[in-house]
Amino acid sequence: MSQQVHRREFCQWNLQGLGSIAILDLLRRDGLLGQEGTGAGGLHYPPRVKRAIQICLVGGMSHIDSYDYKPELSKQQGKSLPAAVKPDIFFGKVGLLRGSDWEFRQRGESGLWVSEMFPEIAKRADMLTVIRSMVSDSANHTPALFVSNSGFQANGFPSLGSWLSFGLGSETESLPAYVVLPDARGGPNGGASNWSSGFLPSEHQAVILRGGDQPVRDLFPATPISELAEQESLSLLRQLNAKHLARSGQDQQLLARIRSYELAGRMQLSVPEVSDYSAEPEKVREEYGLHDPVTEDMGRRCLLGRRLLERGVRFLQLFSGGPIAGSPRASWDAHESVKDNHTLEAGRIDRPVAALLNDLQKRGMLEDTLVLFTTEFGRTPFAQSDADKVGPGRDHNRYGFSCWMAGGGLRPGSVFGETDEVGWKAVKDPVSWNDFHATIMHLFGVDHRKLTFYHNGIQRRLTNVAGDVVKGILA
Amino acid sequence: MRFLSIYRIIGNARALLFCAPLFFLVEPSLADEAGDNFFDEQVAPLLAARCAECHHEEEPEAELNLLSEATARKGGENGPALVPGDPGKSLLWKRVAADEMPPEDPLDDEEKQILKKWIASGASWGTDPVDRFRYTTDKRAGYDWWALQPLGQPEIPSPRRGRRIRNPIDAFVLSRLEESNLSFSEDADPRTLVRRAYLDFHGLPPTPEEIEQFVADPSELAYQQLLTRLLDSPRYGERWGRHWLDVVRFGESDGFERNNPRKDFWHYRDWVIEALNADMPYNEFVRMQVAGDVIKPNTAEGFAAVGFLVAAVHNTVVGGSEMMKRQSRADEIEELVGAIGQTFVGLTVNCARCHAHKFDPISQDEYYQLSAAVAGLNHGTREIQQPGQREELLELQAKEKDVASRIAGIRATIREQIIEKRKSIKTPAIELPEPLASWEFEEDFKDSIGNLDGKPQGGARLENGALVLDGKDDYVITAPIAREITEKTLTALVQLDNLDQRGGGVISLQTTGGGIFDAIVFGEGEPRHWMAGSNVFSRTQPFQGTEEKEASSRPVHFAIVYRKDGTITGYRDGQLYGKSYKTGSQPFAAGGGSLLFGLRHMPPGSNRFLAGRVLQAQLFDHALDEEAVAAVSGDPRNYVAEKEIVAFLKGEEQASYLMLKEQQQKLADEIIAASQAARFVIYTNVPRSPAETYFLNRGKVMDRGELVGPGTIQAIAGLPGDLGLAMDAGDGERRLALADWLTNEKNSLSMRVMVNRIWHYHFGSGIVDTPSDFGFNGSRPTHPGLLEWLSGQFIDSAYSLKALHRLIASSTAYRQSSHFHARAAEIDAGNALLWRKNPYRAEGEVVRDSILSVSGQLNLASGGPGFEDVKIEPNKGTTYYRPFDTEDPNLNRRTVYRFSPRGERMALLDVFDCPDPSSAAPRRSPTTTPLQALSLLNNAFVLRMADHLAVGVKKDVGEEQVEQQVDRVFKLILGRLAEKDEREPAIRLVQQHGLALLARTLFNTNEFLAIP
Repeated sequence: MSQQVHRREFCQWNLQGLGSIAILDLLRRDGLLGQEGTGAGGLHYPPRVKRAIQICLVGGMSHIDSYDYKPELSKQQGKSLPAAVKPDIFFGKVGLLRGSDWEFRQRGESGLWVSEMFPEIAKRADMLTVIRSMVSDSANHTPALFVSNSGFQANGFPSLGSWLSFGLGSETESLPAYVVLPDARGGPNGGASNWSSGFLPSEHQAVILRGGDQPVRDLFPATPISELAEQESLSLLRQLNAKHLARSGQDQQLLARIRSYELAGRMQLSVPEVSDYSAEPEKVREEYGLHDPVTEDMGRRCLLGRRLLERGVRFLQLFSGGPIAGSPRASWDAHESVKDNHTLEAGRIDRPVAALLNDLQKRGMLEDTLVLFTTEFGRTPFAQSDADKVGPGRDHNRYGFSCWMAGGGLRPGSVFGETDEVGWKAVKDPVSWNDFHATIMHLFGVDHRKLTFYHNGIQRRLTNVAGDVVKGILA
Repeated sequence: MRFLSIYRIIGNARALLFCAPLFFLVEPSLADEAGDNFFDEQVAPLLAARCAECHHEEEPEAELNLLSEATARKGGENGPALVPGDPGKSLLWKRVAADEMPPEDPLDDEEKQILKKWIASGASWGTDPVDRFRYTTDKRAGYDWWALQPLGQPEIPSPRRGRRIRNPIDAFVLSRLEESNLSFSEDADPRTLVRRAYLDFHGLPPTPEEIEQFVADPSELAYQQLLTRLLDSPRYGERWGRHWLDVVRFGESDGFERNNPRKDFWHYRDWVIEALNADMPYNEFVRMQVAGDVIKPNTAEGFAAVGFLVAAVHNTVVGGSEMMKRQSRADEIEELVGAIGQTFVGLTVNCARCHAHKFDPISQDEYYQLSAAVAGLNHGTREIQQPGQREELLELQAKEKDVASRIAGIRATIREQIIEKRKSIKTPAIELPEPLASWEFEEDFKDSIGNLDGKPQGGARLENGALVLDGKDDYVITAPIAREITEKTLTALVQLDNLDQRGGGVISLQTTGGGIFDAIVFGEGEPRHWMAGSNVFSRTQPFQGTEEKEASSRPVHFAIVYRKDGTITGYRDGQLYGKSYKTGSQPFAAGGGSLLFGLRHMPPGSNRFLAGRVLQAQLFDHALDEEAVAAVSGDPRNYVAEKEIVAFLKGEEQASYLMLKEQQQKLADEIIAASQAARFVIYTNVPRSPAETYFLNRGKVMDRGELVGPGTIQAIAGLPGDLGLAMDAGDGERRLALADWLTNEKNSLSMRVMVNRIWHYHFGSGIVDTPSDFGFNGSRPTHPGLLEWLSGQFIDSAYSLKALHRLIASSTAYRQSSHFHARAAEIDAGNALLWRKNPYRAEGEVVRDSILSVSGQLNLASGGPGFEDVKIEPNKGTTYYRPFDTEDPNLNRRTVYRFSPRGERMALLDVFDCPDPSSAAPRRSPTTTPLQALSLLNNAFVLRMADHLAVGVKKDVGEEQVEQQVDRVFKLILGRLAEKDEREPAIRLVQQHGLALLARTLFNTNEFLAIP
């Protein structure tokens, strides 16, 4: 089958109307999956995970104070960075080296080093796979956050969640495939561009799930309509559509639209059900930190996240941190004081994230779920202060930082890659966002080079023209 | 294989000419001896197609370049590749025969035979070097690519069922259908046709009356009259302007971190709509968007039109390092090169930034040439008077000028007398030019001539007849200038605290806020040198004057003269300082400029302050010649202070002089008020002088190669890519030349691309269904001959889009039914051959506008600032856009007039696939999702409109007349009456739950949402 004919089919609104599940089924039936350049791709290998939840730290978490233990840095406190060239950093103020403000300890059976910044997550260290050699193309918040989401620094490219939705659809027809739960303090800079489907069809854009009467926009009538009225309205609608369908020659595209109203009805039932966690036992709620105002926001979202994963949502994104600038900061952007800022930010999420890991494991879901803990970049080992001072803040560091994953297909309790002795640059096995994304795709059974979408002259993909699966972290 | 599929689709022998790679069909010669042209015809294409991806001249893999005879014979790092006459000993053949090369994609047997035969027969070379862009292969397009050829003049085919032919479009379409044993569907019924035409041309449904009128008389004449009405209506430009805005990535915020709103960018949107409504010839439409500010300088139209150049996202937080700055600039230029290539010629030139284009014959050099052509790109704002208000302003200005000249006359006489009276006979008084304003800083900060009095800021103070500035936060700002300043001279007598300061402004003429300024600046570009400072250096080049050594020990007079033609000249102590140079000129609107002393431009901060003393400063509203500058730079004691003049005048003379001055002040105030009320700020391209453009090795910003001059791509047959520009050509020249190239009659791609866009929007799919990509990666034309023919018609009609619309809409292809036929679908599932009219789902804008329209709530106010249905919330360095919904007629305007930032928006537009304005959307990806259903059922706007509709209908047909109400609602929303079995349940629904619920139900029908 030619690519030409293919593209036409994908771009007609009729076939897309069946939902991406149907597209995948159709392609599988026709034996068209996995062929070079078929566009929609699909499952190229047996998947290790079926769903993922990403804790997305906004502002830049200091790796050398959390997951990347650097005893040498503490020893060299107060000395200059032993680098020949002036570091290329955002604000250009290079102070003296500053040791970690947190105590590091080896944890669990694996002996993984985790600092006291995350005492609760540290207890689950044996579940974690820490990548200590992340590198990014940008040390500028928004482009860096965009890269971590979409592989590109500019607005307008589909995010990881959108690509997964496009490639794999949802496991359920009654919930969206890609859901975002922003920080209660506000969305990140760039707002909706962070979870945009870019040039992919709009159905792959994230749906924001909020509290209140309308957890999803327009889920219920903005002004009340009685149940009877609703039923009779929909019944007349079905009748009118059926007649129109007959008049129009049984066009598939019209059928798809009729069916979308059935799915909408299902969504009206399932969204409130999943959003209502009052049925969760008191003990579980406490574990997630719902009783403490500091952890309540993330706790609620982690618990909601687990419920959504259980019901088949493909990809969930939980932001930790709102807009970047301002005072006091509502993100991880610790220019002024890492100690003050990270104590506060970590305090908001440590317990809920640990509870999520526990809960997923207890339910046997960690086997085929991926938990991602990411930050757009790390922070510098030297203070952001005058050249002869050890100030309390740190600047952005794109040359080396840490992210971790947990869940199916990984080597738990392990560490991958290394930064230099003070944590300034990744020196062993650097992992780019392209690599990171390729690896996630791989765990989902998708070859990142094959999941492509034609846009303006290019078969676009999440990983642009790069990306290698990080085999070293795979089980 | 790709090629075979194209062959199958195109299928007819003549059309094959358009898909070029003919050699591919040619069996390799079976003769034992290779012929004379064997190399050029068979070997060269093979080398180009299968080896040159890696073994090319740029960065040959294993140092083996197989494209030139010398390097091919020399071999690579593994030794010689060729042993003529002996394939077995040739490394090239050995690797190929072992299927090791090309890696992962070995040659097939035919290809191998060609190579083997060539080596065996002596490996003689032909044309040297082999141009890898010359041939189209199964991997890439070459110069022979169909879309790059001159427009063809295809013969109009004669299909068998000729009676369905209304114009030649049908001949082309029908002949393709007949080849597949298909034919046109029957004509659509008049009710459907009129609905289609309204939705297609206006994006709004016809009123019941408009429908009935056409149904009553659906004659050819009536149809043509209908088309005339549709094309003459301003609704046409609004609908088709929206299509264009999709293509050019129009958005009204910056994107990236800050995502600041662009409140002054609606001018571009209005310009597009007005241009389409006026049927501006397409070539002019293109030229204006690339170089409108050069073609119509200093006009709102020109500034608005080039909004195209700055429509994309713009990163305002770049980072401090040189690399970050270069990277950000290079990304922005790439975006624009991409937009120009894709929008106007359907080529993804941007793909050649890091290496030669992988699929199309575009070299990396050409990418950088095109980058150089637009290297003046600069996001900014311009201020301009509203045309309508200009008259009043001119009148005021004339009056003011008159008063000013009377004052000047008196002053001149009196001054002469004063100078005469001064002991002075030593040196004769010099004929001094008259400044517009002058500051002596003797006793106050006042303008001694006009009314541009200064206000000290920070700790700015006077001491011994000088303004003392500390370089930290001191400066002086004046009242706005009531006169428009086009030409000017800035002068100052200044002594510096130290010679190592960098960037302080002595005197600066700036717009409010400092967005645009011209200033005498010290040490910014080069230490210890004077320069003409300007916003983002747009009018700044080094004077190359001498190093300043004295200004800290004695006052130095510095003057900068700005001529209308863009020439800028500096004078130090009355002597020419270095060289003058030419850039653009920057007019300052009346009431739009004020002066600063001690600060380069607003806002105060960083290195913009001057540390030193300003003894005297002057502003002239004309360009002084060398002699005049020499004169004013002389002994400042030649100046006569204003108060001396007043004191000199006696009695009545003094009273009338003071009255004149008062009158002048009043007029000045009026001018400022009028001009501020009448001023437009336009977000547009404010070009800077093009920085040098370097070839970047592998696109890496820190790895510069040679300097590249402005130019464009070479690949379009018969159209040179050399723009004939000098290396240092100005920005305006560059863009004008590019605009000319884009619209050259030989630019066949330009016509094909636009004709195809129009077709695409009429039929839901283009003849080439990748409207912004006519390269190898794009689709092939389904009807190549038709595309050529339409392009020819387009030129013949002097690029009239309206003529093209009429031609297309008059065809049977357009007027046939959209009814689905399973049998035809079996042959052509995607309807590529047009056996029916593609029905398609209305776009989000059409859904919204239609609902407004049928509910009687559509506000047809056109143009001007967009309506805001989002709350703009600046929040800690970023900007949120929060959609809100409220009852407000201003929000009921057509969606094209919506303020459209890059961020959140109402669900209805989101779920109905309105594209994210962050990237171009030459075609939309329509979806059908449950979220659409939810929005259309439940959205507050939809429900409110249903209520409005119900209220209106009841008013029209009577509160109790349920049956008539139902009839009217059906006619308004669906354009027809309910059939019997629809009418009964509809009446029941209304009786039990109200009329609004019926309206809401009908809004959700497939029938309402389809453009049939």
